[in-house]
Amino acid sequence: MEALGLRDDMGGDKSAAAAQNSLQLIAFSIGEQTYGVEITTVREIRAWNGATPLPNTREFVRGVINLRGTIVPIFDLRARFGDGQTSPTKNHVVVVMSVGDKWVGILVDAVSDILTVSRDDIHNVPEGNSIDTELLNGIVTHDSRMVGLIDLHAVVSGAKMDG
Amino acid sequence: MSDLDDFKATYFDECSELLTELEEQFAAIEAGERDADRLNAVFRAIHSIKGGAGAFGFSALVGFAHAYETLLDYVRDGRIELSDDVVVLCIRANDIVADHVKAAQTGEALPAEYGMDEKARFDALARGESIADDDDMSGEHVEEFDIEFTPVMVNLDAMYDDEAAADDAFDIAPMQLDAGHWEIRFTPHRALYARANDPLLLFRELAALGELHVRPILEEIPPLSDFEPFAVYCSWEITMVSDNVTETMIREVFEFVEGDCDIAIAQLGAAPAAPAAIPATTIAAPVPPPASAVAPEDDLLALADDEVAHLLDFSAEPAAPAPTAAPVVAQDAFEEAPSLSFAELADTIMPAAPAAKAAPVKLAAAAAAPAEGEENGNRSVGVQSIRVDLDKVDRVVNMVGELVITQSMLTQQMDETLRARYTELVRGLEVLAQTTRGLQDSVMAIRAQPVKSVFSRMPRLVRELATKTSKKIKLETIGENTEIDKTIIEQLSDPLTQMIRNSADHGIETPDKRLARGKSETGTIRLSAEQAGGNILIIVEDDGGGINRERVLQVARDKGIVAPDAQPTDEQIDQLIFAPGFSTAEALSDISGRGVGMDVVLSNIKKIGGSVHVRSWTGKGCRMTLRLPLTLAVLDVMLVKVGESPYVVPLSSIVETIQCSRASFERVPSGGQVLQVRGEYVQVIDLAQRFQMTGEAEPENRFVVLCEAEGSHKVALIVDDIIGQQQVVIKSLEENFERVDGIAGGTILGDDNVALIVDVQGLKTSIVHKNAA
Repeated sequence: MEALGLRDDMGGDKSAAAAQNSLQLIAFSIGEQTYGVEITTVREIRAWNGATPLPNTREFVRGVINLRGTIVPIFDLRARFGDGQTSPTKNHVVVVMSVGDKWVGILVDAVSDILTVSRDDIHNVPEGNSIDTELLNGIVTHDSRMVGLIDLHAVVSGAKMDG
Repeated sequence: MSDLDDFKATYFDECSELLTELEEQFAAIEAGERDADRLNAVFRAIHSIKGGAGAFGFSALVGFAHAYETLLDYVRDGRIELSDDVVVLCIRANDIVADHVKAAQTGEALPAEYGMDEKARFDALARGESIADDDDMSGEHVEEFDIEFTPVMVNLDAMYDDEAAADDAFDIAPMQLDAGHWEIRFTPHRALYARANDPLLLFRELAALGELHVRPILEEIPPLSDFEPFAVYCSWEITMVSDNVTETMIREVFEFVEGDCDIAIAQLGAAPAAPAAIPATTIAAPVPPPASAVAPEDDLLALADDEVAHLLDFSAEPAAPAPTAAPVVAQDAFEEAPSLSFAELADTIMPAAPAAKAAPVKLAAAAAAPAEGEENGNRSVGVQSIRVDLDKVDRVVNMVGELVITQSMLTQQMDETLRARYTELVRGLEVLAQTTRGLQDSVMAIRAQPVKSVFSRMPRLVRELATKTSKKIKLETIGENTEIDKTIIEQLSDPLTQMIRNSADHGIETPDKRLARGKSETGTIRLSAEQAGGNILIIVEDDGGGINRERVLQVARDKGIVAPDAQPTDEQIDQLIFAPGFSTAEALSDISGRGVGMDVVLSNIKKIGGSVHVRSWTGKGCRMTLRLPLTLAVLDVMLVKVGESPYVVPLSSIVETIQCSRASFERVPSGGQVLQVRGEYVQVIDLAQRFQMTGEAEPENRFVVLCEAEGSHKVALIVDDIIGQQQVVIKSLEENFERVDGIAGGTILGDDNVALIVDVQGLKTSIVHKNAA
């Protein structure tokens, strides 16, 4: 009994350590690019169904939707990366996530995968003036694909128009 | 433990109500209404605060409250005159009690000497007038309280009310009494208790028939040495006032205990219906039984315990009935000498007091039940209340909100063809709409509260400010019974405090400056509340110097809020005090400059869907108007279309709507447009342009929504289409996003889409700021 218990404990320790070092991501695509966010921040994934535009906001703010009685803003990730607004269809997807105590939705082309990556494999974003440096927390390689880790706080900031 | 916490929470709730009551009473007393009722209300409030504090062991509070209460007691019985000085001292004492309560609530300790000066003055005052009661005042209060005082609601009015009434009352013939006035003498036998009947339940049942006064007859209670545990010593005299009660109905109440008790029922004014167990004088007495003995049924048990406890205490001296139990004396004297007035009665009791170490005097007062008048007031209206957790009400409000949305969605879904086909369904929907509306109104009414609870905190603030600034300031409050949603009231305290601070600090001048300007030495701040349509207007007005526009403009220019070459109008300058980061204080005092500026007032008020407007008259004063919605939960709106998006405009701000083709626009030199409405030129805001929405509507198919912004300034909003009126539930945009200029929030429509709420005042102000910059 005792030995069994001990073995169980060891097994538990091992998986806990593995879990600590690994990260589960929800991966989604914008065009050819793959991005990911930590799975624990994702609250729900829903099909694009239009949004009410918000005046006086930057072009990457698509508007607000009603999420079961709460008003949630939707950010167009393509536009946020400076690639112009997405022309959304019914096949486009909104990933609802929590950032701090707020809920926000990110409009992406499609959700592709759930990835488990090791924290050790996360690389820093190369220095540069590119918008990627601003909006990504890191880069991780998965199946020889490059996945950018989205910095949600950065994505949702600066939504209001200046002036 | 958690039970105790609950009790504490309830106690602090009650304290805050009682402190509010104190402020109110003293406002009236200060204004010259120095009658016994007010004094008694004050006494009761202090006594209740002290009683609870004793139970929880807040000894500093008890000590102070006790000294204060003793002072009030002396004022009450005329030993100390209620002079202006005493009133001022009392008001100060209220503040100290409030601080003690707060300290007890937060667990912060006040300095040990806090309030000691005042306490010393109470003692001095008391000593100056009294002879025998020094030991009552000498600071042993803390040790004494837990024996001497019980948190029983007491009747102090009775002494006063009846004193006057009783003198004449005995001359009135019994026949002049109401027909509905009953006297019941109820003497239970041992068997009644043996069958597990409880007199209290009978009294409750009686209370359902009419207004009830129950008085225990305690003479029969023997000294402790002779006490038999199962004997019945107590009987009751009950006075009932009710218009439509018959003797049969009363007898029915006692049906189950018939045979186990003696009941004598007499209708006052009629011949006693039963052999008079009650002395004729008692029956004839038109006023309710002696002062000390009126007890509402709720307090009956507590009261009985209390009295019995004291009886037991003193029963060792059965030879001295006077100090043992005041009620008994009162009763004896009453029966033996019916012509004795209550004043004399009181006198007969009083002298006995010192002999019994002051306690019985207190007892005489303490044993008495809530004021006659108060009880009448409460009972006749039949107002009963319960304390409900606000969260629970909020949940109901939210659900009703959702119901409103669903109902309006259903109504929207019913197009003309469906309407024609399913008439029953249509009728059902109409009923649903009505019921929903009724339900909503009722729920809103639950949350509505008089603004009094906030207003009553302000006199104290003004007093403190006046002291700190060495100014003379008087506060007038008007319309404090105006009701408004509880959540709004809660949000109102900080902005009002800031506005009054502003008035006291910047507005009202020093006394000599005021005299030099030919004004009275004392400045006035007037705080008023009134209902105006779907809004509540709260106005803070002062007769001070008004806004120093030069200084404001200078500061605004220095801070870059206004461009150096801009020439804003006086009114635009006045509004500048709400600009973020703006402070007019030439030197930061500890009053203003606490980091809470008028910009915070504005943002707080905006948060609850309101607006602020300021108007100033140089040298004459300043008026700040808060316009607040009645409730936060539901808004009557007009649904419009701007571009392809739905927007809603609060109905309360809409004056009229006009088709663009019928409106007369005029060009102004700057290239903008104004609208001419009945000789008035109104600023035009094209929402599609302002919100950068591409409108596709033909210009002539568009509409003008004429709105009234703050300060009765109109603004004409151009929208692409008007869809209709409806009720919406306001949802916060900031909860998950941030504030958007020109948008007051969002709402969810019947089709599940979000519509934005147009912030009429915000649009107007942002334009003013843009122009000014």
